[in-house]
Amino acid sequence: MLQYWTAILTEAAIFAVLALGIDMIWGWAGDFDLSAYAYFALGVYMTMVMTIGKPQAPVVYILGWHLPYPVAVILAVVVVVAFAAIIGAIALRSLREVYFSITTLGAVWAIYYAVENYTPLFNGYNGVYGLVDPLGGGLSYNAYHYLFLGFCLLVLLAAYVVVQHLSTSPFGRMVRAVRDDERAASVYGRNVFWAKYRTYLFGAGLAGLAGGLFAAYIGAFSPLDWKPTEIFVLYAAILVGGRGNPKGVVLGSFIVYVGFVEMTRYIPSPAARPELGPALRQILIGLLIVLMLKYRPSGLLPEKLGDDGTIRRRSWPERLLRSSGTASNEPELLQGSSKDEVAP
Amino acid sequence: MTSPLLAVKDVSKHFGGVAAVNGCSMSISEGSVVGLIGPNGAGKSSLIDLISGFERPDSGSVVFAGRELVGRRPDVISRMGLIRTFQTPREWRDLSVIDNVRVGRSALSRESIWRSLTSGARLRREEAAENQELFDLMAHYRLDGVRNVRASGLSGGQKRLLEFARIASAKPRLTILDEPMGGVNPVLGERIGEAIRELKRAGSTVVVVEHNLPFIEKTCDEVVVMDLGSVIAQGHFDELRNNTRVVDAYLGNDDE
Repeated sequence: MLQYWTAILTEAAIFAVLALGIDMIWGWAGDFDLSAYAYFALGVYMTMVMTIGKPQAPVVYILGWHLPYPVAVILAVVVVVAFAAIIGAIALRSLREVYFSITTLGAVWAIYYAVENYTPLFNGYNGVYGLVDPLGGGLSYNAYHYLFLGFCLLVLLAAYVVVQHLSTSPFGRMVRAVRDDERAASVYGRNVFWAKYRTYLFGAGLAGLAGGLFAAYIGAFSPLDWKPTEIFVLYAAILVGGRGNPKGVVLGSFIVYVGFVEMTRYIPSPAARPELGPALRQILIGLLIVLMLKYRPSGLLPEKLGDDGTIRRRSWPERLLRSSGTASNEPELLQGSSKDEVAP
Repeated sequence: MTSPLLAVKDVSKHFGGVAAVNGCSMSISEGSVVGLIGPNGAGKSSLIDLISGFERPDSGSVVFAGRELVGRRPDVISRMGLIRTFQTPREWRDLSVIDNVRVGRSALSRESIWRSLTSGARLRREEAAENQELFDLMAHYRLDGVRNVRASGLSGGQKRLLEFARIASAKPRLTILDEPMGGVNPVLGERIGEAIRELKRAGSTVVVVEHNLPFIEKTCDEVVVMDLGSVIAQGHFDELRNNTRVVDAYLGNDDE
Protein backbone atom coordinates (compact mmCIF):
# COMPACT_ATOMS: atom_id res chain seq x y z
CA MET A 1 0.00 0.00 0.00
CA LEU A 2 2.83 2.37 0.83
CA GLN A 3 4.39 1.61 -2.54
CA TYR A 4 1.07 2.31 -4.18
CA TRP A 5 0.78 5.72 -2.55
CA THR A 6 4.39 6.55 -3.33
CA ALA A 7 3.67 5.84 -6.98
CA ILE A 8 0.50 7.92 -7.04
CA LEU A 9 2.03 10.88 -5.27
CA THR A 10 5.06 10.78 -7.54
CA GLU A 11 2.85 10.87 -10.61
CA ALA A 12 0.71 13.62 -9.11
CA ALA A 13 3.80 15.73 -8.37
CA ILE A 14 5.06 15.27 -11.93
CA PHE A 15 1.68 16.17 -13.39
CA ALA A 16 1.48 19.21 -11.13
CA VAL A 17 4.68 20.53 -12.75
CA LEU A 18 3.09 19.94 -16.16
CA ALA A 19 -0.13 21.63 -15.02
CA LEU A 20 1.81 24.68 -13.81
CA GLY A 21 3.22 25.03 -17.31
CA ILE A 22 -0.14 24.59 -19.03
CA ASP A 23 -1.74 27.07 -16.66
CA MET A 24 0.79 29.74 -17.60
CA ILE A 25 -0.25 29.33 -21.23
CA TRP A 26 -3.99 29.08 -20.61
CA GLY A 27 -4.60 30.70 -17.23
CA TRP A 28 -2.30 33.68 -17.62
CA ALA A 29 -2.07 34.23 -21.36
CA GLY A 30 -5.52 32.85 -22.20
CA ASP A 31 -4.35 30.52 -24.96
CA PHE A 32 -6.10 27.14 -24.83
CA ASP A 33 -3.15 25.07 -25.96
CA LEU A 34 -3.61 21.43 -26.87
CA SER A 35 -0.05 20.52 -27.77
CA ALA A 36 1.48 20.63 -24.29
CA TYR A 37 1.18 16.87 -23.90
CA ALA A 38 3.51 16.50 -26.89
CA TYR A 39 6.06 18.71 -25.13
CA PHE A 40 5.75 16.50 -22.09
CA ALA A 41 6.22 13.33 -24.21
CA LEU A 42 9.12 14.88 -26.07
CA GLY A 43 10.71 15.64 -22.69
CA VAL A 44 10.33 11.98 -21.70
CA TYR A 45 11.75 10.65 -24.98
CA MET A 46 14.65 13.08 -25.10
CA THR A 47 15.67 12.42 -21.51
CA MET A 48 15.56 8.69 -22.14
CA VAL A 49 17.56 8.65 -25.37
CA MET A 50 20.18 10.86 -23.75
CA THR A 51 20.64 8.66 -20.69
CA ILE A 52 19.97 4.99 -21.49
CA GLY A 53 22.83 4.49 -23.93
CA LYS A 54 23.09 2.85 -27.33
CA PRO A 55 20.07 1.00 -28.67
CA GLN A 56 20.36 -2.77 -29.08
CA ALA A 57 19.01 -4.19 -32.36
CA PRO A 58 16.22 -4.40 -33.33
CA VAL A 59 15.48 -1.33 -31.21
CA VAL A 60 16.41 1.96 -32.86
CA TYR A 61 16.38 5.52 -31.61
CA ILE A 62 18.35 8.72 -32.04
CA LEU A 63 21.36 9.82 -29.96
CA GLY A 64 21.70 6.86 -27.57
CA TRP A 65 23.90 8.87 -25.21
CA HIS A 66 24.87 8.11 -21.69
CA LEU A 67 24.70 11.57 -20.13
CA PRO A 68 24.27 12.28 -16.43
CA TYR A 69 20.55 12.65 -15.66
CA PRO A 70 20.49 16.40 -14.76
CA VAL A 71 22.38 17.30 -17.95
CA ALA A 72 19.99 15.18 -20.01
CA VAL A 73 16.94 16.85 -18.45
CA ILE A 74 18.32 20.31 -19.13
CA LEU A 75 19.07 19.41 -22.74
CA ALA A 76 15.63 17.83 -23.09
CA VAL A 77 14.04 21.05 -21.88
CA VAL A 78 16.11 23.00 -24.41
CA VAL A 79 14.92 20.71 -27.22
CA VAL A 80 11.29 20.99 -26.08
CA VAL A 81 11.47 24.79 -25.91
CA ALA A 82 13.03 24.89 -29.38
CA PHE A 83 10.15 22.77 -30.66
CA ALA A 84 7.59 24.95 -28.92
CA ALA A 85 9.30 27.98 -30.44
CA ILE A 86 8.37 26.71 -33.90
CA ILE A 87 4.80 25.71 -33.07
CA GLY A 88 4.23 28.84 -30.98
CA ALA A 89 5.58 31.09 -33.71
CA ILE A 90 3.05 29.63 -36.13
CA ALA A 91 0.09 29.38 -33.78
CA LEU A 92 0.47 32.63 -31.84
CA ARG A 93 1.40 34.99 -34.65
CA SER A 94 -2.14 35.89 -35.60
CA LEU A 95 -4.37 33.02 -34.48
CA ARG A 96 -6.45 33.31 -31.35
CA GLU A 97 -8.96 31.32 -29.35
CA VAL A 98 -10.41 28.35 -31.20
CA TYR A 99 -8.16 28.87 -34.23
CA PHE A 100 -5.12 28.75 -31.99
CA SER A 101 -6.43 25.59 -30.31
CA ILE A 102 -7.07 23.87 -33.64
CA THR A 103 -3.56 24.68 -34.81
CA THR A 104 -1.99 23.25 -31.66
CA LEU A 105 -4.27 20.22 -31.92
CA GLY A 106 -2.95 19.65 -35.43
CA ALA A 107 0.59 20.00 -34.14
CA VAL A 108 0.16 17.48 -31.33
CA TRP A 109 -1.34 14.82 -33.59
CA ALA A 110 1.35 15.43 -36.21
CA ILE A 111 4.01 14.87 -33.55
CA TYR A 112 2.16 11.84 -32.21
CA TYR A 113 1.92 10.10 -35.57
CA ALA A 114 5.46 11.07 -36.52
CA VAL A 115 6.79 9.49 -33.33
CA GLU A 116 4.62 6.42 -33.78
CA ASN A 117 5.40 5.80 -37.45
CA TYR A 118 8.92 7.06 -37.97
CA THR A 119 10.80 4.29 -36.20
CA PRO A 120 14.38 5.68 -36.32
CA LEU A 121 13.29 8.54 -34.06
CA PHE A 122 12.10 6.85 -30.87
CA ASN A 123 11.61 3.25 -31.99
CA GLY A 124 8.13 3.99 -33.29
CA TYR A 125 5.18 2.04 -32.01
CA ASN A 126 7.20 -0.11 -29.63
CA GLY A 127 8.75 2.83 -27.88
CA VAL A 128 11.91 3.35 -25.90
CA TYR A 129 12.76 1.42 -22.78
CA GLY A 130 15.63 1.28 -20.33
CA LEU A 131 16.17 2.52 -16.83
CA VAL A 132 17.00 6.13 -16.23
CA ASP A 133 18.51 6.23 -12.77
CA PRO A 134 19.06 9.77 -11.53
CA LEU A 135 20.43 8.55 -8.20
CA GLY A 136 23.22 6.52 -9.71
CA GLY A 137 22.00 3.05 -8.70
CA GLY A 138 22.89 1.05 -5.62
CA LEU A 139 19.55 1.55 -3.91
CA SER A 140 16.85 -0.98 -3.27
CA TYR A 141 13.68 -0.71 -5.32
CA ASN A 142 11.69 0.80 -2.46
CA ALA A 143 14.38 3.17 -1.25
CA TYR A 144 14.78 4.43 -4.78
CA HIS A 145 11.11 5.17 -5.15
CA TYR A 146 10.81 6.94 -1.81
CA LEU A 147 13.83 9.05 -2.62
CA PHE A 148 12.53 9.76 -6.08
CA LEU A 149 9.19 10.91 -4.66
CA GLY A 150 11.11 13.31 -2.43
CA PHE A 151 13.07 14.50 -5.44
CA CYS A 152 9.89 15.08 -7.47
CA LEU A 153 8.29 17.01 -4.61
CA LEU A 154 11.42 19.16 -4.38
CA VAL A 155 11.35 19.90 -8.10
CA LEU A 156 7.63 20.69 -7.83
CA LEU A 157 8.32 23.04 -4.94
CA ALA A 158 11.05 24.79 -6.92
CA ALA A 159 8.81 25.04 -9.98
CA TYR A 160 5.97 26.37 -7.84
CA VAL A 161 8.16 29.03 -6.20
CA VAL A 162 9.43 30.23 -9.57
CA VAL A 163 5.97 30.26 -11.18
CA GLN A 164 4.34 31.92 -8.18
CA HIS A 165 7.06 34.55 -8.20
CA LEU A 166 6.49 35.23 -11.91
CA SER A 167 2.74 35.22 -11.40
CA THR A 168 2.83 38.18 -9.04
CA SER A 169 5.61 39.99 -10.92
CA PRO A 170 5.07 42.85 -13.38
CA PHE A 171 5.51 40.21 -16.10
CA GLY A 172 2.62 38.11 -14.79
CA ARG A 173 0.42 41.19 -14.54
CA MET A 174 1.26 42.30 -18.07
CA VAL A 175 0.53 38.86 -19.53
CA ARG A 176 -2.90 38.90 -17.88
CA ALA A 177 -3.55 42.37 -19.26
CA VAL A 178 -2.77 40.99 -22.71
CA ARG A 179 -5.17 38.10 -22.01
CA ASP A 180 -7.98 40.43 -20.92
CA ASP A 181 -7.69 42.83 -23.84
CA GLU A 182 -5.00 42.57 -26.48
CA ARG A 183 -5.86 45.79 -28.24
CA ALA A 184 -5.73 47.80 -25.02
CA ALA A 185 -2.42 46.13 -24.17
CA SER A 186 -0.90 47.16 -27.48
CA VAL A 187 -2.29 50.68 -27.04
CA TYR A 188 -0.17 50.79 -23.88
CA GLY A 189 2.97 49.67 -25.64
CA ARG A 190 2.88 45.93 -25.15
CA ASN A 191 4.01 43.62 -27.93
CA VAL A 192 1.16 41.13 -27.72
CA PHE A 193 2.86 38.35 -29.66
CA TRP A 194 6.05 38.61 -27.66
CA ALA A 195 4.16 38.54 -24.35
CA LYS A 196 2.23 35.43 -25.33
CA TYR A 197 5.24 33.80 -26.96
CA ARG A 198 7.46 34.16 -23.89
CA THR A 199 4.73 32.70 -21.69
CA TYR A 200 4.23 29.86 -24.15
CA LEU A 201 7.91 28.95 -24.19
CA PHE A 202 8.17 29.08 -20.40
CA GLY A 203 5.12 26.85 -20.05
CA ALA A 204 6.47 24.43 -22.65
CA GLY A 205 9.76 24.34 -20.75
CA LEU A 206 7.90 23.26 -17.61
CA ALA A 207 6.15 20.56 -19.65
CA GLY A 208 9.57 19.35 -20.83
CA LEU A 209 10.83 19.36 -17.24
CA ALA A 210 7.84 17.26 -16.16
CA GLY A 211 8.72 14.88 -18.99
CA GLY A 212 12.28 14.68 -17.72
CA LEU A 213 10.98 13.63 -14.30
CA PHE A 214 8.57 11.12 -15.80
CA ALA A 215 11.42 9.53 -17.78
CA ALA A 216 13.10 8.59 -14.52
CA TYR A 217 9.84 7.28 -13.10
CA ILE A 218 8.85 4.87 -15.83
CA GLY A 219 11.10 2.32 -17.49
CA ALA A 220 9.49 2.38 -20.91
CA PHE A 221 7.69 4.95 -22.99
CA SER A 222 5.79 4.29 -26.19
CA PRO A 223 2.88 5.88 -28.05
CA LEU A 224 0.64 3.57 -26.02
CA ASP A 225 1.64 5.47 -22.88
CA TRP A 226 0.55 8.89 -24.00
CA LYS A 227 -2.40 10.17 -25.91
CA PRO A 228 -2.79 13.86 -26.78
CA THR A 229 -6.31 13.75 -25.31
CA GLU A 230 -4.90 13.19 -21.83
CA ILE A 231 -4.34 16.93 -21.66
CA PHE A 232 -8.00 17.27 -20.68
CA VAL A 233 -7.25 15.65 -17.33
CA LEU A 234 -4.75 18.44 -16.76
CA TYR A 235 -7.28 21.05 -17.79
CA ALA A 236 -9.69 19.48 -15.32
CA ALA A 237 -7.01 19.79 -12.63
CA ILE A 238 -6.46 23.47 -13.45
CA LEU A 239 -10.21 24.14 -13.43
CA VAL A 240 -10.71 22.42 -10.09
CA GLY A 241 -7.75 24.11 -8.42
CA GLY A 242 -8.14 27.59 -9.87
CA ARG A 243 -7.10 28.81 -13.26
CA GLY A 244 -4.34 31.41 -13.01
CA ASN A 245 -3.45 30.65 -9.40
CA PRO A 246 -0.31 28.47 -9.13
CA LYS A 247 -1.26 27.33 -5.62
CA GLY A 248 -4.66 26.25 -6.88
CA VAL A 249 -3.14 24.48 -9.85
CA VAL A 250 -0.93 22.35 -7.62
CA LEU A 251 -3.86 21.61 -5.32
CA GLY A 252 -6.09 20.75 -8.27
CA SER A 253 -3.47 18.44 -9.75
CA PHE A 254 -3.31 16.41 -6.56
CA ILE A 255 -7.09 16.35 -6.15
CA VAL A 256 -7.78 15.29 -9.70
CA TYR A 257 -4.87 12.94 -9.99
CA VAL A 258 -5.17 11.20 -6.67
CA GLY A 259 -8.89 11.58 -6.16
CA PHE A 260 -10.14 11.00 -9.62
CA VAL A 261 -7.71 9.25 -11.85
CA GLU A 262 -6.53 6.81 -9.19
CA MET A 263 -9.61 6.32 -7.06
CA THR A 264 -11.84 5.67 -10.04
CA ARG A 265 -9.62 2.75 -10.97
CA TYR A 266 -11.57 0.91 -8.29
CA ILE A 267 -14.74 1.14 -10.32
CA PRO A 268 -15.43 -2.53 -11.02
CA SER A 269 -15.41 -3.68 -14.62
CA PRO A 270 -17.43 -6.81 -15.29
CA ALA A 271 -15.34 -9.47 -16.98
CA ALA A 272 -17.55 -9.34 -20.05
CA ARG A 273 -17.10 -5.58 -20.36
CA PRO A 274 -13.53 -4.69 -19.40
CA GLU A 275 -13.75 -1.29 -21.07
CA LEU A 276 -16.51 -0.13 -18.72
CA GLY A 277 -14.22 1.07 -15.90
CA PRO A 278 -11.93 3.27 -18.01
CA ALA A 279 -14.93 4.61 -19.93
CA LEU A 280 -16.71 5.55 -16.70
CA ARG A 281 -13.54 7.29 -15.57
CA GLN A 282 -13.55 9.49 -18.66
CA ILE A 283 -17.21 10.27 -18.11
CA LEU A 284 -16.58 11.21 -14.49
CA ILE A 285 -13.75 13.56 -15.47
CA GLY A 286 -16.06 15.17 -18.01
CA LEU A 287 -18.72 15.49 -15.34
CA LEU A 288 -16.22 17.03 -12.95
CA ILE A 289 -15.32 19.69 -15.53
CA VAL A 290 -18.99 20.49 -16.16
CA LEU A 291 -19.83 20.72 -12.46
CA MET A 292 -16.84 22.93 -11.70
CA LEU A 293 -17.69 25.26 -14.58
CA LYS A 294 -21.27 25.49 -13.37
CA TYR A 295 -20.79 25.92 -9.65
CA ARG A 296 -17.30 27.25 -9.14
CA PRO A 297 -15.90 28.43 -12.46
CA SER A 298 -12.84 30.10 -10.98
CA GLY A 299 -11.83 27.00 -9.03
CA LEU A 300 -11.18 26.24 -5.37
CA LEU A 301 -8.45 28.89 -5.14
CA PRO A 302 -9.34 31.57 -7.69
CA GLU A 303 -6.81 33.75 -9.44
CA LYS A 304 -5.41 36.37 -7.11
CA LEU A 305 -6.27 39.96 -7.73
CA GLY A 306 -3.34 42.36 -7.47
CA ASP A 307 -4.05 44.99 -4.81
CA ASP A 308 -2.58 48.21 -3.53
CA GLY A 309 -0.82 46.63 -0.57
CA THR A 310 -3.29 47.94 2.02
CA ILE A 311 -5.59 44.91 2.26
CA ARG A 312 -5.44 42.57 5.20
CA ARG A 313 -4.71 39.17 3.75
CA ARG A 314 -6.90 36.32 4.83
CA SER A 315 -5.15 33.04 5.38
CA TRP A 316 -5.83 30.63 2.57
CA PRO A 317 -8.06 28.15 4.45
CA GLU A 318 -10.18 31.14 5.42
CA ARG A 319 -10.29 32.31 1.83
CA LEU A 320 -11.19 28.83 0.64
CA LEU A 321 -14.16 28.80 2.98
CA ARG A 322 -15.37 32.31 2.31
CA SER A 323 -14.82 32.81 -1.36
CA SER A 324 -17.30 31.41 -3.78
CA GLY A 325 -17.35 31.39 -7.53
CA THR A 326 -16.42 34.57 -9.30
CA ALA A 327 -16.88 36.78 -6.26
CA SER A 328 -13.62 35.20 -5.12
CA ASN A 329 -11.18 37.29 -3.16
CA GLU A 330 -12.61 40.67 -3.87
CA PRO A 331 -12.98 42.77 -0.77
CA GLU A 332 -16.30 44.15 0.38
CA LEU A 333 -15.56 47.43 -1.34
CA LEU A 334 -17.67 46.59 -4.34
CA GLN A 335 -20.88 46.62 -2.39
CA GLY A 336 -19.91 49.35 0.04
CA SER A 337 -18.78 52.09 -2.23
CA SER A 338 -19.07 54.23 -5.20
CA LYS A 339 -21.41 52.36 -7.49
CA ASP A 340 -23.46 55.52 -7.79
CA GLU A 341 -21.03 58.04 -6.50
CA VAL A 342 -19.26 58.75 -9.73
CA ALA A 343 -21.09 61.99 -10.26
CA PRO A 344 -19.89 64.79 -8.04
CA MET B 1 5.69 78.02 -38.03
CA THR B 2 6.84 74.80 -36.45
CA SER B 3 6.02 71.46 -38.01
CA PRO B 4 2.86 69.84 -36.66
CA LEU B 5 2.96 67.04 -34.08
CA LEU B 6 0.80 64.85 -36.28
CA ALA B 7 0.54 65.20 -40.03
CA VAL B 8 -1.82 62.96 -41.98
CA LYS B 9 -1.23 63.21 -45.74
CA ASP B 10 -3.50 61.79 -48.42
CA VAL B 11 -4.35 58.66 -46.48
CA SER B 12 -6.77 56.19 -48.07
CA LYS B 13 -8.17 52.88 -46.92
CA HIS B 14 -10.65 50.65 -48.70
CA PHE B 15 -12.49 47.76 -47.13
CA GLY B 16 -13.68 45.65 -50.03
CA GLY B 17 -15.26 48.15 -52.36
CA VAL B 18 -15.96 50.71 -49.66
CA ALA B 19 -13.63 53.68 -49.27
CA ALA B 20 -13.63 54.16 -45.50
CA VAL B 21 -10.96 56.82 -45.67
CA ASN B 22 -10.35 58.57 -48.97
CA GLY B 23 -7.45 60.96 -49.51
CA CYS B 24 -7.63 62.29 -45.99
CA SER B 25 -5.23 65.01 -44.85
CA MET B 26 -5.00 66.97 -41.64
CA SER B 27 -2.43 68.32 -39.26
CA ILE B 28 -2.50 68.65 -35.51
CA SER B 29 -0.23 71.14 -33.81
CA GLU B 30 1.36 70.38 -30.48
CA GLY B 31 -0.43 71.52 -27.35
CA SER B 32 -3.90 71.83 -28.85
CA VAL B 33 -7.16 70.07 -28.16
CA VAL B 34 -8.71 69.19 -31.50
CA GLY B 35 -12.24 67.95 -32.06
CA LEU B 36 -12.76 65.46 -34.87
CA ILE B 37 -16.37 65.50 -35.98
CA GLY B 38 -18.44 64.18 -38.82
CA PRO B 39 -21.59 62.16 -39.44
CA ASN B 40 -21.71 58.42 -38.78
CA GLY B 41 -19.64 56.56 -41.33
CA ALA B 42 -17.50 59.58 -42.14
CA GLY B 43 -14.38 57.53 -41.43
CA LYS B 44 -13.35 59.00 -38.08
CA SER B 45 -12.77 55.72 -36.29
CA SER B 46 -11.12 54.21 -39.37
CA LEU B 47 -8.76 57.16 -39.49
CA ILE B 48 -7.83 56.60 -35.84
CA ASP B 49 -7.15 52.93 -36.58
CA LEU B 50 -4.87 53.99 -39.44
CA ILE B 51 -2.99 56.51 -37.31
CA SER B 52 -2.54 54.16 -34.35
CA GLY B 53 -1.37 51.21 -36.45
CA PHE B 54 -4.36 48.89 -36.08
CA GLU B 55 -5.00 49.17 -39.81
CA ARG B 56 -2.51 49.85 -42.56
CA PRO B 57 -3.49 52.51 -45.11
CA ASP B 58 -3.56 51.59 -48.81
CA SER B 59 -1.72 54.81 -49.52
CA GLY B 60 -0.63 58.04 -47.87
CA SER B 61 1.55 58.85 -44.90
CA VAL B 62 1.15 59.61 -41.22
CA VAL B 63 4.00 61.51 -39.60
CA PHE B 64 4.13 61.83 -35.82
CA ALA B 65 6.82 63.98 -34.21
CA GLY B 66 8.85 63.78 -37.39
CA ARG B 67 8.61 59.99 -37.79
CA GLU B 68 6.55 57.96 -40.23
CA LEU B 69 3.95 55.77 -38.52
CA VAL B 70 2.70 53.77 -41.50
CA GLY B 71 3.95 50.20 -41.29
CA ARG B 72 4.65 50.27 -37.56
CA ARG B 73 2.84 48.07 -35.06
CA PRO B 74 0.39 49.65 -32.58
CA ASP B 75 2.66 48.90 -29.60
CA VAL B 76 5.62 50.58 -31.30
CA ILE B 77 3.49 53.64 -32.08
CA SER B 78 2.34 53.69 -28.46
CA ARG B 79 5.90 53.67 -27.21
CA MET B 80 6.57 56.70 -29.43
CA GLY B 81 4.07 58.55 -27.23
CA LEU B 82 0.66 58.07 -28.81
CA ILE B 83 -2.20 56.63 -26.78
CA ARG B 84 -5.68 56.12 -28.16
CA THR B 85 -8.97 54.91 -26.74
CA PHE B 86 -11.83 52.97 -28.30
CA GLN B 87 -15.53 53.73 -28.47
CA THR B 88 -16.19 51.34 -25.61
CA PRO B 89 -13.91 51.39 -22.56
CA ARG B 90 -11.39 48.58 -22.78
CA GLU B 91 -10.35 47.91 -19.22
CA TRP B 92 -8.38 44.77 -18.37
CA ARG B 93 -11.36 43.16 -16.79
CA ASP B 94 -9.77 40.59 -14.50
CA LEU B 95 -7.11 42.94 -13.20
CA SER B 96 -7.80 45.14 -10.20
CA VAL B 97 -8.42 48.81 -10.87
CA ILE B 98 -5.04 49.80 -9.47
CA ASP B 99 -3.31 47.18 -11.59
CA ASN B 100 -5.02 48.63 -14.65
CA VAL B 101 -3.38 51.96 -13.86
CA ARG B 102 -0.06 50.26 -13.03
CA VAL B 103 0.02 48.52 -16.40
CA GLY B 104 -0.92 51.87 -17.95
CA ARG B 105 2.33 53.31 -16.65
CA SER B 106 4.15 51.06 -19.08
CA ALA B 107 7.29 50.47 -17.05
CA LEU B 108 8.28 47.96 -19.72
CA SER B 109 11.78 47.21 -18.50
CA ARG B 110 10.30 45.61 -15.38
CA GLU B 111 8.44 43.04 -17.39
CA SER B 112 11.38 40.83 -18.26
CA ILE B 113 11.11 37.25 -17.01
CA TRP B 114 14.76 37.30 -16.11
CA ARG B 115 14.49 40.46 -13.99
CA SER B 116 11.33 39.15 -12.31
CA LEU B 117 13.19 36.04 -11.21
CA THR B 118 16.50 37.59 -10.26
CA SER B 119 15.55 40.94 -8.77
CA GLY B 120 11.92 40.51 -7.80
CA ALA B 121 12.37 42.23 -4.45
CA ARG B 122 13.82 45.30 -6.10
CA LEU B 123 10.95 45.46 -8.60
CA ARG B 124 8.51 45.27 -5.71
CA ARG B 125 10.26 48.12 -3.91
CA GLU B 126 10.28 50.22 -7.06
CA GLU B 127 6.56 49.69 -7.48
CA ALA B 128 5.80 50.37 -3.82
CA ALA B 129 7.66 53.66 -4.14
CA GLU B 130 5.24 54.71 -6.85
CA ASN B 131 2.15 53.75 -4.88
CA GLN B 132 1.47 57.18 -3.40
CA GLU B 133 1.57 58.80 -6.79
CA LEU B 134 -0.91 56.22 -8.09
CA PHE B 135 -3.19 56.67 -5.06
CA ASP B 136 -3.30 60.42 -5.69
CA LEU B 137 -4.04 59.88 -9.33
CA MET B 138 -6.86 57.49 -8.54
CA ALA B 139 -8.33 59.80 -5.92
CA HIS B 140 -8.26 62.50 -8.55
CA TYR B 141 -10.42 60.35 -10.83
CA ARG B 142 -12.71 59.29 -7.97
CA LEU B 143 -11.45 55.74 -8.08
CA ASP B 144 -9.82 55.57 -4.66
CA GLY B 145 -12.73 53.63 -3.18
CA VAL B 146 -12.47 50.91 -5.79
CA ARG B 147 -8.71 50.52 -6.13
CA ASN B 148 -8.74 46.84 -5.22
CA VAL B 149 -11.85 45.88 -7.12
CA ARG B 150 -11.85 43.81 -10.29
CA ALA B 151 -12.13 46.30 -13.15
CA SER B 152 -15.04 44.36 -14.66
CA GLY B 153 -17.07 45.34 -11.57
CA LEU B 154 -16.92 49.06 -12.31
CA SER B 155 -19.86 51.04 -13.63
CA GLY B 156 -19.75 52.39 -17.17
CA GLY B 157 -18.85 55.86 -15.92
CA GLN B 158 -16.10 54.55 -13.66
CA LYS B 159 -14.64 52.66 -16.59
CA ARG B 160 -14.46 55.94 -18.53
CA LEU B 161 -12.65 57.56 -15.62
CA LEU B 162 -10.33 54.57 -15.30
CA GLU B 163 -9.40 55.11 -18.94
CA PHE B 164 -8.38 58.68 -18.12
CA ALA B 165 -6.42 57.59 -15.06
CA ARG B 166 -4.60 55.06 -17.21
CA ILE B 167 -3.79 57.68 -19.84
CA ALA B 168 -2.64 60.16 -17.20
CA SER B 169 -0.26 57.57 -15.78
CA ALA B 170 1.08 56.78 -19.27
CA LYS B 171 1.87 60.50 -19.92
CA PRO B 172 1.49 60.37 -23.71
CA ARG B 173 2.51 63.13 -26.07
CA LEU B 174 -0.64 62.68 -28.14
CA THR B 175 -3.96 61.27 -26.92
CA ILE B 176 -6.71 60.30 -29.32
CA LEU B 177 -10.08 59.80 -27.65
CA ASP B 178 -12.75 57.96 -29.62
CA GLU B 179 -16.12 59.13 -28.28
CA PRO B 180 -15.20 59.51 -24.62
CA MET B 181 -18.75 60.69 -23.88
CA GLY B 182 -20.52 57.57 -25.15
CA GLY B 183 -23.08 56.44 -22.57
CA VAL B 184 -22.04 59.10 -20.09
CA ASN B 185 -24.46 61.24 -18.09
CA PRO B 186 -24.22 65.05 -18.31
CA VAL B 187 -22.66 65.49 -14.87
CA LEU B 188 -19.92 62.98 -15.54
CA GLY B 189 -19.58 64.63 -18.96
CA GLU B 190 -18.41 67.78 -17.16
CA ARG B 191 -15.80 65.74 -15.36
CA ILE B 192 -14.59 64.24 -18.64
CA GLY B 193 -14.32 67.71 -20.19
CA GLU B 194 -12.20 68.68 -17.21
CA ALA B 195 -10.09 65.51 -17.61
CA ILE B 196 -9.36 66.47 -21.21
CA ARG B 197 -8.23 69.95 -20.17
CA GLU B 198 -6.06 68.33 -17.51
CA LEU B 199 -4.42 66.14 -20.12
CA LYS B 200 -3.62 69.28 -22.07
CA ARG B 201 -2.18 70.97 -18.99
CA ALA B 202 -0.05 67.89 -18.35
CA GLY B 203 1.51 68.39 -21.78
CA SER B 204 -0.47 66.08 -24.01
CA THR B 205 -1.98 67.09 -27.29
CA VAL B 206 -5.52 65.73 -27.54
CA VAL B 207 -7.74 64.70 -30.45
CA VAL B 208 -11.37 64.03 -29.49
CA VAL B 209 -13.91 62.29 -31.69
CA GLU B 210 -17.34 63.27 -30.46
CA HIS B 211 -20.89 63.81 -31.68
CA ASN B 212 -21.81 66.17 -28.89
CA LEU B 213 -21.20 69.55 -30.56
CA PRO B 214 -21.71 71.80 -27.51
CA PHE B 215 -19.12 69.64 -25.75
CA ILE B 216 -16.70 70.02 -28.67
CA GLU B 217 -17.26 73.77 -28.74
CA LYS B 218 -16.52 74.07 -25.05
CA THR B 219 -13.54 71.75 -24.91
CA CYS B 220 -11.65 72.10 -28.18
CA ASP B 221 -9.37 74.80 -29.56
CA GLU B 222 -9.90 73.65 -33.09
CA VAL B 223 -12.21 71.35 -35.05
CA VAL B 224 -11.62 68.98 -37.96
CA VAL B 225 -14.70 67.96 -39.93
CA MET B 226 -14.81 64.72 -41.87
CA ASP B 227 -17.33 63.45 -44.36
CA LEU B 228 -17.24 60.50 -46.78
CA GLY B 229 -13.74 59.55 -45.73
CA SER B 230 -11.97 62.85 -46.09
CA VAL B 231 -11.48 66.08 -44.22
CA ILE B 232 -13.81 68.75 -45.53
CA ALA B 233 -12.87 71.54 -43.16
CA GLN B 234 -10.50 72.42 -40.34
CA GLY B 235 -10.58 75.52 -38.19
CA HIS B 236 -12.17 77.23 -35.23
CA PHE B 237 -15.67 76.24 -34.29
CA ASP B 238 -17.11 79.67 -35.05
CA GLU B 239 -15.73 79.70 -38.58
CA LEU B 240 -17.14 76.27 -39.30
CA ARG B 241 -20.60 77.17 -38.10
CA ASN B 242 -21.07 79.21 -41.26
CA ASN B 243 -19.34 76.74 -43.59
CA THR B 244 -22.05 75.38 -45.89
CA ARG B 245 -20.24 72.10 -46.58
CA VAL B 246 -20.07 71.39 -42.89
CA VAL B 247 -23.68 72.25 -42.32
CA ASP B 248 -24.70 70.08 -45.28
CA ALA B 249 -22.67 67.15 -44.12
CA TYR B 250 -24.23 67.29 -40.70
CA LEU B 251 -27.78 68.21 -41.51
CA GLY B 252 -28.20 66.72 -44.97
CA ASN B 253 -28.78 68.70 -48.11
CA ASP B 254 -32.30 68.98 -49.47
CA ASP B 255 -31.07 69.44 -53.03
CA GLU B 256 -29.54 65.99 -53.21
